[in-house]
Amino acid sequence: MSDTLHEPNLALHVEDLTVSYHGKPVLWDIDFDVPPGVMAAIVGPNGAGKSTLIKSVLGLVPSVAGHVTLFGRPYRGARRRVGYVPQRSSVDWDFPTTALDVVTMGLYGRLGWLRRPGKRERAEAMAALVMVGMEAFAGRQISQLSGGQQQRVFLARALVQKADVYFLDEPMAGVDATTERAIVDILRRLRDQGKTVIVVHHDLQTVRSYFDWMLILNVRVIAQGPVNDVYTADNLRRAYGGQIALLDDVTAPHPESPAAATSEDKSVGKSADDARNPPADSALGNIARETP
Amino acid sequence: MVYRRSVFAAALLGASTAVLAASESEPEPLDTVVTVGMLADVVETVGGDCVAVTTMMGPGVDPHLYQASARDVHDLDAAELILYSGYSLEGQLGKVFERFSRIKPAQAVAEAGMDDAQLIRTQDAYGVDPHLWMDAGLWAQTVPIVADTLSAQRPSCRDAMHANAEAYALELEALDAWIEASIASIPEDQRILVTAHDAFGYFGRAYAIEVTGIQGLSTATETGVADIRRMADVVVARGVPAMFVESTINPRTVQAVIAAAEEQGLTISIGGQLYSDAMGDAGTASGTYIGMLYANTTHIVKALGGQPAPLPPALGDWARRWGIASDGAGLSHASEEHAGDDQVRDEQASAEDTSS
Amino acid sequence: MSLLALLSDYTLQNVAIGAALLGLVSGVLGSFAVLRKQSLLGDTLSHAALPGVCLGFIVGGGRHMGSILAGALITGALAALVMLLLTRMSRLKTDAALGISLSVFFAVGVVLLTYLQGGNNASQGGLDAFLFGQAAATLRSDLWIMGGISVFALALVAALWKEFKLVSFDTQFAATLGLPVAWLEALMTVMIALAVVVGLQMVGVVLMAAMIIAPAVAARQWAHRLESMVLLAAVFGIIGGVSGAMISALARGLATGPLIILSLSSVVIVSLMFAPGRGFVWEILKLKRDRRQLRYQQVLTTLYRLASHHSDPGYRLDQGMVDAYHRTNTKRALDRLMRRGLVTLTTPPSHEPGQRKQWVLTAEGYREAERILDSLGQEASA
Repeated sequence: MSDTLHEPNLALHVEDLTVSYHGKPVLWDIDFDVPPGVMAAIVGPNGAGKSTLIKSVLGLVPSVAGHVTLFGRPYRGARRRVGYVPQRSSVDWDFPTTALDVVTMGLYGRLGWLRRPGKRERAEAMAALVMVGMEAFAGRQISQLSGGQQQRVFLARALVQKADVYFLDEPMAGVDATTERAIVDILRRLRDQGKTVIVVHHDLQTVRSYFDWMLILNVRVIAQGPVNDVYTADNLRRAYGGQIALLDDVTAPHPESPAAATSEDKSVGKSADDARNPPADSALGNIARETP
Repeated sequence: MVYRRSVFAAALLGASTAVLAASESEPEPLDTVVTVGMLADVVETVGGDCVAVTTMMGPGVDPHLYQASARDVHDLDAAELILYSGYSLEGQLGKVFERFSRIKPAQAVAEAGMDDAQLIRTQDAYGVDPHLWMDAGLWAQTVPIVADTLSAQRPSCRDAMHANAEAYALELEALDAWIEASIASIPEDQRILVTAHDAFGYFGRAYAIEVTGIQGLSTATETGVADIRRMADVVVARGVPAMFVESTINPRTVQAVIAAAEEQGLTISIGGQLYSDAMGDAGTASGTYIGMLYANTTHIVKALGGQPAPLPPALGDWARRWGIASDGAGLSHASEEHAGDDQVRDEQASAEDTSS
Repeated sequence: MSLLALLSDYTLQNVAIGAALLGLVSGVLGSFAVLRKQSLLGDTLSHAALPGVCLGFIVGGGRHMGSILAGALITGALAALVMLLLTRMSRLKTDAALGISLSVFFAVGVVLLTYLQGGNNASQGGLDAFLFGQAAATLRSDLWIMGGISVFALALVAALWKEFKLVSFDTQFAATLGLPVAWLEALMTVMIALAVVVGLQMVGVVLMAAMIIAPAVAARQWAHRLESMVLLAAVFGIIGGVSGAMISALARGLATGPLIILSLSSVVIVSLMFAPGRGFVWEILKLKRDRRQLRYQQVLTTLYRLASHHSDPGYRLDQGMVDAYHRTNTKRALDRLMRRGLVTLTTPPSHEPGQRKQWVLTAEGYREAERILDSLGQEASA
């Protein structure tokens, strides 16, 4: 049903990726493709390897097998096109530095050895802060920022890299509703500009409303593809095991899902059945629609 | 059965008599552990073949700081007799000796040999200056004590040991007189001995030379800036021609004083390396007690502008044994070498000082 | 002892310059160790320097300073690398890895030291001065070595400033930018060994840990940015060093090394107590201020509520009644409110009993009370 896209046309192509930790498999034989210009979510239960997947794509974690390309090139060659927003907890926020300073750090790669960030770099960093709505906090110590503000600073740091594909690790965990909205808006704007956004997302409830592409992961790939194709009770059950009770609620189509929007359909292998309107009935209706 | 037991007893009696007879005719050397070399030399000279001496602290070892290792404790355990100086010289070993003194003979030789009136008292925690060997006359008082203590353990050797002791005492007496004469040859205004720590109190008192040290009686304390400055002021005020480093102490404190004096316009040389808390390398002249004081005196006298007296006949034997001519030629190379090293380093330091 | 005489004294100058260099290097390099949660790195590396000192002595023969310091640097760096390997390749956390590295190297050092002391070598005396340092005996030649190492260390930090900063803050992000994180981390760890070498003769192996930690910790309390923290740490280090040197010059028998550490420690204590925003005393003062503020608001709103309950904005209250409501003496709060013009004392009209003055809200006080209740989300009745 789907065309096999060539690697250079894929923002991310992961093949046979296997990662182990102390002899136990964390990711097993992962084949994962993300076309350019989508907002993709990686979901799965705890310990499913979602963070590890991103980290291994970025070379932060060694893999046992497999290869990864971004726009057809290995990561090392494509570094300049990649932006990364790590988990907020990966950093000690008591470090003596300001919000503007943290964002400026995103430009260090471009500066190379021995050069110092100057006016131009600071202006760019400031612009990124404006994009995330944090310009008023530019001189504030990061220890004094709230969780949501810290997350936005991290996002600004990635934005300043002017990448083509962005990886975000649980950016909406533990932030307030306003910040979550703001982040989603920024990510959508990026996507609308043609960038690719890949997010490890923790909240099943909002996947369908925020994202148009998704991967369900539990050490192995459970399912991947356009969100509406993948987000089924069956897939979720296979990934999450016994938490079925939630699924009925969760799989009821959300009125804001991108499938309901009329903008270009970016999903791979679209069937002739475009005019999919969210049915008013329950999850079982979705299963009935899964035809090979 | 009774018959068999008595045969057994007779055999046992016969065997032990034979063993006793054997041991009486050939006494085993007395296994003795001695702490510092100065005392060990006395013990070896007096005891001769009748003792087997193990010295705990070799050349270059600071007895104030020395702590017993497992090997030492093993040696002490195996020994028949333990001899140490006393007056807290072996500061860290007090408890060890206390424990051993309950199970075997252990003698603080210096403490036994001295009259109260002969001791130098001090203000600090020590109470008594323990560096008694610096006065050959005083140290000679340990000789009869050693002879008596050894004889108590090996009565068969008593005569030999007392003969040795007498001969040795004579040598030490001669040494005492020689040192006095040699020191007296130093011009009076230069007769001041400046060393790294206050080890030479008895030397100064016995031989009429002023002594002062940068550190106090024990090397366990860290030298302070004020100590260096005070000493620099003293040596400059007195116009001292030479200072002396010690074999057991890092020479930097002396170098610091010399540099400070240099800054104030007085050039001081390092007169040599003195043996203060330990003797020189074994197998050299300075590795004996006599040699230690001989080397010290020679260095001191020459550096301060005096002339060592000719060696007395009583020390002739000793001099011949170690190949020392009466003018000090043939003195152990080791101490000359170190004096040379220090002088070279000193010259480098003063060159840097004048250029910076 | 006049200050001028003290300052121009050659010995003190040597010691003070040496202490200043040590403080400078320790402050700068220690900042990174502390921020990277490797505070005890200084302790580990300085203890690990002991076998190097002994080996340098054996190799160089005699008390040749160059080989001794080189030995200290080498074994110190080795201990750092061992620690890094342990953390990366096993499940050990940094603190355990530091402890293991420290103990093993120091034990080897003590074995070597006692072997050297037991051996019949008449020139090994005073090697144990490296355990506690002998700051007072600092020579000009030492200063050249210390100065050279300090310049090198500072140049290194200046050249790699932004790399060190980023790797200290966020190693993962740094890796994605293409920085050789493992190398940079190793470099930051090993360069502490440079500080240790500089400080070995001054404060000795045992106290070096404090030199690395204290200036950085003190500076952290006052600084908001890494640039100012490192600069302040350097300044504190220098001040501590020079103060220690000068105090030890005042009287005989005062050991210089420990006094440097004590000076630094007092800077740390003062910083921990009084630094604005973070200091202990500051927190307590803030707490008290907040409580007082709350009390004023409580009293004001009580007056307001009573007034509105009686539908009389000019409702008057005895001091005693106000006290009774709050179950505590509120005179001070009321005085303060009066000073701000929110309440006032009036004499009761003649027809009422009692001569004492009573409290009443002013118009501004009335508005202020309304505002407070509003902001708390509670109803302010009209």
